[in-house]
Amino acid sequence: MNIQLLVSGISMGVVYGLIAMGMVLIFRSVGIMNFAQGEFLMFGGYFCYTCNQILHIPIIPSLILASLMMGAVGVLFMRTSYWPLRKAQTKAIIVSAMGASIALKEGARLIWGAIPVSVDKVADGNVNLSGAVIQWQNVAIIGIAAVLMVLVYLLLEKTFIGNIMQATAQDQYMSSLVGVPVIVSIGLTFGVSAMITGIGGGLLAPIFFLNNTMGTVAGAKAFAAIVIGGFGSVPGAIIGGLIVGLVEAFGGAYISTTYQLVLIYVALVLVLMVRPQGIFGEKIQEKA
Amino acid sequence: MKKKLAFLLAATLLLGVAGCGAKEEPAVKEETPAAVEAPEAEEEESGGADLSGDPIKIGFTTVLTGDRSLEGEYGSNAVALVEEEINAAGGVLGRPIEIVIEDALGTDVGAVNAYRKLAADEDIALIIGSDSSNDNIAISGSVLEAKIPTIAQGSSPKLTAVCDDENPYMFQIRTSDATLCEALVKYAVEEKGLKTFAVIHDTESASSDQARLFTEALAKYDIEPTVVVPFTTGTKDFSSHLVQIQNTQPDAVIAAMFHTEAAIVVQQMRAMGMEMPIFGSNAFGDPITIGLAGEYMNNVFSVTAWVPNTPNEKGAAFSQKYTDTYGVECAQSAAKIYDMVYIACEAIERAGTTDREAVREAMTTIDGYEGAITTYDCRTNGACGRGGLVVEVVDKVPTIREDVYAEKDL
Repeated sequence: MNIQLLVSGISMGVVYGLIAMGMVLIFRSVGIMNFAQGEFLMFGGYFCYTCNQILHIPIIPSLILASLMMGAVGVLFMRTSYWPLRKAQTKAIIVSAMGASIALKEGARLIWGAIPVSVDKVADGNVNLSGAVIQWQNVAIIGIAAVLMVLVYLLLEKTFIGNIMQATAQDQYMSSLVGVPVIVSIGLTFGVSAMITGIGGGLLAPIFFLNNTMGTVAGAKAFAAIVIGGFGSVPGAIIGGLIVGLVEAFGGAYISTTYQLVLIYVALVLVLMVRPQGIFGEKIQEKA
Repeated sequence: MKKKLAFLLAATLLLGVAGCGAKEEPAVKEETPAAVEAPEAEEEESGGADLSGDPIKIGFTTVLTGDRSLEGEYGSNAVALVEEEINAAGGVLGRPIEIVIEDALGTDVGAVNAYRKLAADEDIALIIGSDSSNDNIAISGSVLEAKIPTIAQGSSPKLTAVCDDENPYMFQIRTSDATLCEALVKYAVEEKGLKTFAVIHDTESASSDQARLFTEALAKYDIEPTVVVPFTTGTKDFSSHLVQIQNTQPDAVIAAMFHTEAAIVVQQMRAMGMEMPIFGSNAFGDPITIGLAGEYMNNVFSVTAWVPNTPNEKGAAFSQKYTDTYGVECAQSAAKIYDMVYIACEAIERAGTTDREAVREAMTTIDGYEGAITTYDCRTNGACGRGGLVVEVVDKVPTIREDVYAEKDL
């Protein structure tokens, strides 16, 4: 097995997984797929750039600060793009998210310009692994993403706030009846979702560079990851992300580089043929 | 309470965003005295610009929003400088010039719509078309319909054919990619003595076209690429592409793509231990790519029409002015607009009127015009730019290795 491809497939996969996990959190919370999630990745990267390259803050604190800023963006996004339309048709909210995606892209261009930029690496240099040369940054991406995934799991499953978020996700009306502040809970979900996705932008920036459209393709691949992993499943989003990353790396090397995206969607169709609900998705049946 | 919370969050975000303040363009323009004082100084040198009458309008479509807005940012920055410079130096026909910009959105449909909007303005004497060859080929029908002399920005041979054979109103004020790609391959084979090449390219039209031209140029030396690896626009991880190249062990890699992808490919190649020379399209010699990939750019060669450290006097002066005003190095996307606006004004000046037909006629008389980038010959409409440079990036500086110049075949 080609170690080079394996590591790059996993490192891309965990980033898709982070974006997908952010999308799933929002989907579970409000039942809407956030088509602006890729732009959270881009905005997070730019916040990290601002802290690291303009304010000259070291990269790790920059990532943390960028993540916190993204938390605020997530809440603001919820308050402006979702909350006013919460009682409208689902279609209206999806269109709102798509509009917000364009606004975020162009907003980033106005603030930071169109010239691509970069940030410092978390870990510089390369490591030689069985003949393959791997960038330490890729290893750092895998490690940090894994830690984030564990933290999100702990937040959702082991904390009071996580229980509130889960309760709201399951039934907003019942939650409000028992005193759960629904708007705060949904705001927290959007905030956490933007935080974990945004940190991915800061991690990718030194190897893929930042521009205002960097989130578009990544967002589409994360969507494929969610479908493969199963709608609404956090572990599914992670596994789906890894599958997408590995199919992209190995499929590109051994089948076609031109049709990497097609290969991802072939994998998606194959999974759906075997498990229409996705790998970790639950089967939903209409009542007779 | 809810309103207070929303206000607090919005204020926090706005403060954060405002604090970023990373885009230097407006701040520099306002704060740098040189940017404001320059026209006055030139005014004095030229004996004062006593301009009267309505401004002469020149249209300019460029990508201000969307995926290719990088070009538009450089282009509109250049337009602001050149408009100011020309007006300070006395304008054209004693009148000030005004450049009207429309957003082409980065799509051929957007380019056509932007062009048609400008063409509807009867006061516009000449239009500079959008950034890519594809966009300019797309607007060709509208140009013929409107009968407005139009400067095409693209450099592909397909656009040369449209300008030469199909559309007497379109002028390609660029050096053809055919000339440039052939020159780079000649340098790689004859000067560097390299024998085997792998080709990697973006599948979008301009880069595909350049890859085809590189491959055709290699064929003249009976060289077939060891492997041709295409990738779709937006690809970020090139491991699978580079593994394929690595397996064929070529002497060098020929690459055709835009800036961000170019920087990523160079960085990933070097990180994977692929130290062979890279011969790339114009993006590889551009300051944007060099700035991103930094020290990884050593042993990278490029064929380009422009480098910011150009030996051309006019070009060097503009490059310096651009950097002083905007705080970044001047890329080709800005320099080419500088030349295009000056050539447009030269044509209007020669015509002595803003009548579109007279301006078109005057365009065809431009020969041996020395621009900031190269010499221009518009006696035929296609490939008016005649020169370019083969450069090697040495310690982040594009160093000229060879001048490229081709006489026009009339």
